[in-house]
Amino acid sequence: MQRRNFLHFSSLCGVSSLLSAEKPDSFRQDFQKVSLLIAAVQEHMFPEKSLLPSAKKMHTTQFLFDTMADKTFNPEIRQLVIEGAARFEHYTDGKFTLLTAEEKEYALRSYEMSEEGKRWLSQMMVLTLEGLFGDPIYGSNIDESGWQALHVEGGMPHPKTRYIGI
Amino acid sequence: MSSPLFDVVVIGSGAGGGAVAYTLCKAGYKVALLEKGKLINRKEFSKDEIAYVRRDIVTPSLFKEYHTIETQQDGGWHTLPTYKLGWSFWNGNIVGGSSNFMSGMFHRMHPDDFRLKSKYGTIEGANIVDWPISYSDLEPYYQKAEDIIGISGLYKPHPFEPPRSRKRFCQPPTAENRVVTLFDKSCQSLGITPLVTPRAILSQKRGEREACYYSNFCGSYGCSSGAKGSAREALLKPALATGNLTLMSHSHVKQLHTKGKGKVSHAVVVDTITRKERTVAGKIFVVAAQAHESVRLLLNSANTSYPQGLANSSGELGKNLLFSAGGAGEGELHQDSLKEISFSALMEPGLFVNRSILDWYFVDHWWDGKFKGGLVEFMFEHQNIIARTIKRSEEEGKLIWGTTLGEKLTRQFTRTKNIRFEIFNDWLPHDNCFVSLDPNYRDTYGMAVGKLRIEGHPHDLKVGEYLAEKCIAILEEMGAKNISSSVTSIPPQNLIAGGCRFGTDPKTSVLNPYCQSHDIQNLYVADAAFMPTGGSVPYTWTIYANAFRIADHIIQTLRRGS
Repeated sequence: MQRRNFLHFSSLCGVSSLLSAEKPDSFRQDFQKVSLLIAAVQEHMFPEKSLLPSAKKMHTTQFLFDTMADKTFNPEIRQLVIEGAARFEHYTDGKFTLLTAEEKEYALRSYEMSEEGKRWLSQMMVLTLEGLFGDPIYGSNIDESGWQALHVEGGMPHPKTRYIGI
Repeated sequence: MSSPLFDVVVIGSGAGGGAVAYTLCKAGYKVALLEKGKLINRKEFSKDEIAYVRRDIVTPSLFKEYHTIETQQDGGWHTLPTYKLGWSFWNGNIVGGSSNFMSGMFHRMHPDDFRLKSKYGTIEGANIVDWPISYSDLEPYYQKAEDIIGISGLYKPHPFEPPRSRKRFCQPPTAENRVVTLFDKSCQSLGITPLVTPRAILSQKRGEREACYYSNFCGSYGCSSGAKGSAREALLKPALATGNLTLMSHSHVKQLHTKGKGKVSHAVVVDTITRKERTVAGKIFVVAAQAHESVRLLLNSANTSYPQGLANSSGELGKNLLFSAGGAGEGELHQDSLKEISFSALMEPGLFVNRSILDWYFVDHWWDGKFKGGLVEFMFEHQNIIARTIKRSEEEGKLIWGTTLGEKLTRQFTRTKNIRFEIFNDWLPHDNCFVSLDPNYRDTYGMAVGKLRIEGHPHDLKVGEYLAEKCIAILEEMGAKNISSSVTSIPPQNLIAGGCRFGTDPKTSVLNPYCQSHDIQNLYVADAAFMPTGGSVPYTWTIYANAFRIADHIIQTLRRGS
């Protein structure tokens, strides 16, 4: 039985669209503006020398772009990710990528204190975990490294196409 | 563009529509089966968690097709569309419907479920009525469903086990994880009787359907061996083989049209890819689009002859919506404290727990009182890998990441396994749980969307809490740690019934005892919408059985007509 959490996005309703993230055509441009920041956040959350494969080695930023660009992706979450990144960029004066690991941790934890920061970071976590532990056909979880770290096997048969070819 | 006149037009290809189509095609009648989703064949299914679980691949995009949900907050009713809530009420919109994605835990309703009001009387605020048929009317069809769908199991006498005309199941149970040794022993030490769960999953090859291969990823996924008794595998393939079935996928029915009073003439169908409209005509129409969507179609079909919608002279259409719910909980079995079995046996992937408990289906206790209880099912936590990592990525309201997350995930995935229970008790029908048309929202086809007012009855929560306590005691006896449970009125969106309750009085019911509209003789409803009360079990076996019963009545009607 599937019982989804009661996710509530109504607080987004009144936010004017700073970016046109709901349109996949412009999404590439919008994403490029924040891709370094997103990569830095993912690499901080999933660093080298952890028991899990690192975000960098698993190309999670590319996964995040690919999966959000797909037509199956929820456009409101796409908007949330881009806008949240832009806000966090502003929040850190555009310097997040230059900070030390300790400073990054402080900045992320501070941002997490706000409702919008928590929502954005949660979404970053979810999308990164999707890459690390989804089927390798989506471009991350390379050589099933994520599954091996947890001693699990993906179900058989594996998909032959992304999003069942839709 | 119009089609030839079919004997029967069935709308929806899930359990209800599939059973009707199968029976009529086997009897030689020409059937049109209209399904809004696509056809996905057995060989195309995979265990792709991102596609099937994380994205709306097999259900419509909520930004195009959605419902609105009305919930009570601060003393008033507030409505939000599901694309804002992130809470989808679509379920497996492909050929075969949500039966493709079920876990296949199958239970019959008990004879007393058919006479709940007579047995327990009225409950304040609840619209409980007896069914117009008895268990004995449905029992032959439960048996028929068991044989045709292929339900595996092991009969064991129990005071609350519904009577079976044939004790032996058609196949032995699916293979079980060794955890059942620990589970059964724990139950026995508490004086509880564990039962083997009947499953709509083949344990042995049958014809063209292969046996279960224990993929470890069953519920939420299509079956790649054909073992799961979906309508697509068990019913539609044989129906197609008769040459009498015209299966139309990507065909969404917007409205049913009547020819004056008393007869549906044709369905208005839109091709979901080309958006072109056509009509499909038939002698008899069977609606089986899942309870809330069947209601929406009948309401959206209002015309000058039927201004309140089809089959709605009673004004009861959409009322008394039900869900198969109760609560859930789980606990962790740890490597360092595991009893009775080895940890490697516990971690063997794919095998089922297959245990249910009926001991509290009816409660009559000197201290607890006399009331209708329910069924509980035990199973492992769903093995979806992404979902399990997400669930464990937060502690005390804060995300964890870095080496801390790595250590936690590897520890929990390699040294623990979660065992879970799900509670099924009656969702009492009442005035604040119904589906209607939302006057303010329309779907991508220009039709009013269904508005679901959802509220549970307080009695249901008390029963759920009672059952959860019993389940927690079992988990404690098993040595589980970090046990948690949740009993709420938030319903599962995949187990919906009611809205077209059947009965003998046209003033108080939508359908007659054969699930035929009181108002329109050639209109039937064959999904779970007919149920005035839902019992304390998942609905699917009852949907299959009742649809086989409806189909027999339709055959008699067609024979009389010819």
